[in-house]
Amino acid sequence: MASQRNLLAKEDRRSGGAGEGVDIPFLTLVLLLLAVGLTMLYSASFAQSEYDTGYTMSTKYLQKQAVCAGLGLVCMYFFSRIPAEFWFRFAWPMYGISILLLLSVLVIGQSVNGARRWINIAGIQFQPSEIAKFTMIVLFARLTKSYGNDARKFRYGVLGFGAALLGILVPLALEKHLSAIMLIGMVAVVMMFVAGTSPKWLLAGAGAAALFVLIYITFMGYAGDRVTAWLNPEADPGDTGYQILQSLYAIGSGGLFGLGLGKSRQKYLYLPFQYNDYIFAVICEELGLVGALMIIALFAATILRGYWVALRARDRFSTVLAAGLVTLIAVQTVLNLAVVTNLLPSTGIALPFFSYGGTALAVNLGEMGVVLSISRYRNETKKQEEIL
Amino acid sequence: MARHKRKKEHTRLRGDSSQHFRILAVMALLGFAAFLPVAVQLYSLMIDQYDYYYQKALRNQTRTTQVTASRGNIYDTNMNLLAVSVGVENIYLDPHELKQSKADMELIGNQLGEILDLDPDWIREQAKDTKMRYKQIAARVNEETAAKIRSFVNEYGISGIHLEPSSQRYYPYGSLAAQVIGFTNASNSGSEGIEAAYNSFLEGTAGRVITTKGNNEMDMPFSYENYVSSQTGCSVVLTLDTTVQACLEKQLEAAIDRYDVQNGAFGLVMNAKTGEILAMATLGSYDPNQYLEIADPDMAKSLEQLKQSYLNSPENSQAYTDGKLAYEQALTDARLSQWRNRVLSDGYEPGSTFKVLTMAAALDSGAIDLNHNFYCAGTEQIPGRSQRLHCWRSTGHGAQQTPQALQNSCNLAFAHIALEMGGDTFYEYIKNFGVLEKTGVDLLGESGGVFFSKDIITNTDKWGTASLTSASFGQTFKLTPLQLVRAISAVVNGGYLMEPYMVSEVLDDKGNTVLKQEPTVIRQVIREETSQVMRQLLESVVTDGTAKNASVAGFSIGGKTGTSEKIDVLDSNGNPTLDKIVSFVGVAPMDDPEYIVLVALDTPSRSTGIYISGGVMAAPTVGAVMADILPYLGVAQHFPEGDVAGKTVIMENLVGLSQKEAEKLLKSQSLTGRFVGDGDTVTGQIPAAGEVVPGGSEVLLYLGEETPDNMVTVPDFSGMNRQKASDEAGKLGIYILVVGNDQVAPTVTVAAQDIPAGTQVPLGTTIKLTFTDNKAAD
Repeated sequence: MASQRNLLAKEDRRSGGAGEGVDIPFLTLVLLLLAVGLTMLYSASFAQSEYDTGYTMSTKYLQKQAVCAGLGLVCMYFFSRIPAEFWFRFAWPMYGISILLLLSVLVIGQSVNGARRWINIAGIQFQPSEIAKFTMIVLFARLTKSYGNDARKFRYGVLGFGAALLGILVPLALEKHLSAIMLIGMVAVVMMFVAGTSPKWLLAGAGAAALFVLIYITFMGYAGDRVTAWLNPEADPGDTGYQILQSLYAIGSGGLFGLGLGKSRQKYLYLPFQYNDYIFAVICEELGLVGALMIIALFAATILRGYWVALRARDRFSTVLAAGLVTLIAVQTVLNLAVVTNLLPSTGIALPFFSYGGTALAVNLGEMGVVLSISRYRNETKKQEEIL
Repeated sequence: MARHKRKKEHTRLRGDSSQHFRILAVMALLGFAAFLPVAVQLYSLMIDQYDYYYQKALRNQTRTTQVTASRGNIYDTNMNLLAVSVGVENIYLDPHELKQSKADMELIGNQLGEILDLDPDWIREQAKDTKMRYKQIAARVNEETAAKIRSFVNEYGISGIHLEPSSQRYYPYGSLAAQVIGFTNASNSGSEGIEAAYNSFLEGTAGRVITTKGNNEMDMPFSYENYVSSQTGCSVVLTLDTTVQACLEKQLEAAIDRYDVQNGAFGLVMNAKTGEILAMATLGSYDPNQYLEIADPDMAKSLEQLKQSYLNSPENSQAYTDGKLAYEQALTDARLSQWRNRVLSDGYEPGSTFKVLTMAAALDSGAIDLNHNFYCAGTEQIPGRSQRLHCWRSTGHGAQQTPQALQNSCNLAFAHIALEMGGDTFYEYIKNFGVLEKTGVDLLGESGGVFFSKDIITNTDKWGTASLTSASFGQTFKLTPLQLVRAISAVVNGGYLMEPYMVSEVLDDKGNTVLKQEPTVIRQVIREETSQVMRQLLESVVTDGTAKNASVAGFSIGGKTGTSEKIDVLDSNGNPTLDKIVSFVGVAPMDDPEYIVLVALDTPSRSTGIYISGGVMAAPTVGAVMADILPYLGVAQHFPEGDVAGKTVIMENLVGLSQKEAEKLLKSQSLTGRFVGDGDTVTGQIPAAGEVVPGGSEVLLYLGEETPDNMVTVPDFSGMNRQKASDEAGKLGIYILVVGNDQVAPTVTVAAQDIPAGTQVPLGTTIKLTFTDNKAAD
């Protein structure tokens, strides 16, 4: 009751005036990533677009992405004005809705590229797993706040979080959405670590997950091929090794300074998924090592600044929420780069802000809006301490 | 205040210090450490292994396109084009691209089918295999058709129909000298004749374009490109003269018709001094523009019958398989046969033409002189020969001296000449005349003939004299027409054996000379004096011997006839068929021989009733060739004083002249005039101005009278003797020009006329009549 009253009190005060404003460096970094991302998306996709449209249009992918970027920016602005209490309050209902959406995919989902992960609501096609990632993070932040120091205990730190996690992972497993499971699992582990779950349990969990993955690979031929292709791409250059080899050709032929913006050759239908999962290979080919490292630095700066915002947040919930969202971006980025450079076997994880994919971009920008909102209200310390 | 605030913040931080610490750890991991392996990997891929991946990527992206060099031309000696490459285009489909672009195959099939005259269903069939990127549907279409396809493709914006440049060899003269020029195969490489022999010069060097292409074969806006230009092939200039070649082929053709020659004919015109080949023909020929087609209508018909007969058998039956095999074999044989250049590839028994060499050897070695006496009783038992030797004239030639032996082509006399000379000398001369070796002509497929081994000719104690004596008159061995012509050239040109050649020059694409052929003397075989004597003897064969039919008014021609039985051709019972090759080698002009002409007719039919011999058939053919080519080649005509019969005069315009002036002008042209009417000036004339009339003719001049302009019908002169033909022509008011045998004898009759019987011609027209002596033998 008390928390509810205080929330209302806070909302009253907000109408009187906003806080100090959002964290400008973080906003700048996000917008910079978006701008560079859209530029590179155009460069990486125009050959495919021309091919798809019978050489009449080069901006087929850019146009859709730009619309979603606009939508995402609106989300970001809107979410940046929603205080964290809102998410705290609706963490459970959102979690429930997410599970329902995930389950509904199994019934009314639409197939894209052979995987049933999309649903269509009011003409908008989107992946519920993108929503699930966010709601999982919100719920974990709320649980972190609720458990407090109890998170160190097995009952809360492992069973509590674990039960919440399973609620999301089980429907994803039914969808066979391996990349989302991996991503959510890794973000969850990081958040549990932040919450205070004992590292020994996390290590044990990670070990169990690794064991599971190993068994999965051994018994599932499809995923097994990916591992073979990862370890020795040149063994079957025409088939299983094709994707990664083409990616390595693109990266390697970039050299120090690259072939120049727009001048990738591998994007001319040699490198599959050159405009989504493998866009970073095109970046390397066009901009060279120098350009690639600059873009990595941009990501790193954004991530670091994001954690900085988390550290400076006004309360525990906000801190963990921001940290969770930044972790989501960070894990996606790292996994994508590792796959494209063949450090890890292919997983199907996109590069945030760069890869083609409307839902993901809009959701990512929305999530950044949440982080911005946390930065906006960071100094409202007195009341918060009372609330949280 | 400030202090208080810091303390507060401290408290907050301390309260969450362990959590903050953990976030800092995550920060260090995900904001920095996690990117390190990526950065290291990038450095390794992009810097350390840059060369490896750059090359790999380039190999991945580049396409090498061959740029075919355009093939050089073939010219005759007067730079007439004999072979030229013209630009054409191949049309191909990209089934993959057609599928990708969702092309309307119904429309494409119908339209392309109409433009290219192909079955639309077949075209659609070609587009079915959508994994394919290249399905050629039409090869070497001309520019006009290509333009239609281009506009169709553009009009409907179709992607997946492509054109690629190619080239097509074109032979403007068709079958003329086909075996000499040869042809190029489907991949534009020379496979017969000059096209093959000089292929390395003609073909040039292919260039290539190395360019980066998208995985769908489309060009990229920013691409790597490397161009190695192609080098146009050299052109080849032949010594062959199309005019001479056409004359030779025309006369061979006429002879084949006239004598119903069964197995084709071949002929050769060579410069006796230099070895340059002016014409080389093998009939039946073919059109190199369609070298796979069988040109001979009879052969084509019999092949078609073979094909139909197996097609009528049920498929998969033994009869079908065997029949098909037989048909394919027959087709291959027929093709190889029509492509074959018999002048240099096939040996034949030269028969009496070879006696020229035997006599030259005997005279040069001093074994006999011109006054040597021979006696021919028609048959004789020669020492060292088991069988009696028969002369071709069974009644015998009686007593003869050396010139008559050659004029009569007496086998018995030549057997004695060989015996006088001895095997060693004979063999040595034959060897020096190049009979045992290839001539080294610059064409492919030359054969060297088949002669006796030295021992068989020279060791008469062991082997007897049969081979030596038979060889002396050109029997029981084979040599190629080219070997024979070269050897006889040496006999008449002062004794020099030349290397024959067909290509005088090779020019690069800018016209610079790359290679120039000069006459090559292999060796001197006989002395100048012997050669001079031989020239006189050969001329006497035409004036007094078996080759009178070869004479051409105004030119001094020499030569030797030959008739040989094809002893190795047997009928189905294993008996000799008695098929004959009749031939004549003619030389002109005899005071300084320049040109040598060989004509050989393989198996004239016995059904024509014409006596089968070189003298009757081959000699007039060579005469006709000489009559055509010698004036063209600029050999001066000489008519003995008063002898004007064979000379031709071009009629002047006499209209408007007085009777006196006209008479004077006519006299200067060795013509006479008959004047009709009683006016003072000429008002009309027959023949009209510009017409060609035989020298010594009487022309009609009208003085005021109306000039008749009626037409007359040309009669059939064949078989008429000189007097009868002359009377017939006089009655009709037309002139005759005597060609060939100009002797007036009952056996010398008209063999051919240049204007066919039944043709309507104006009064005063000159008909060219070829006279031959039908009793001329050998």
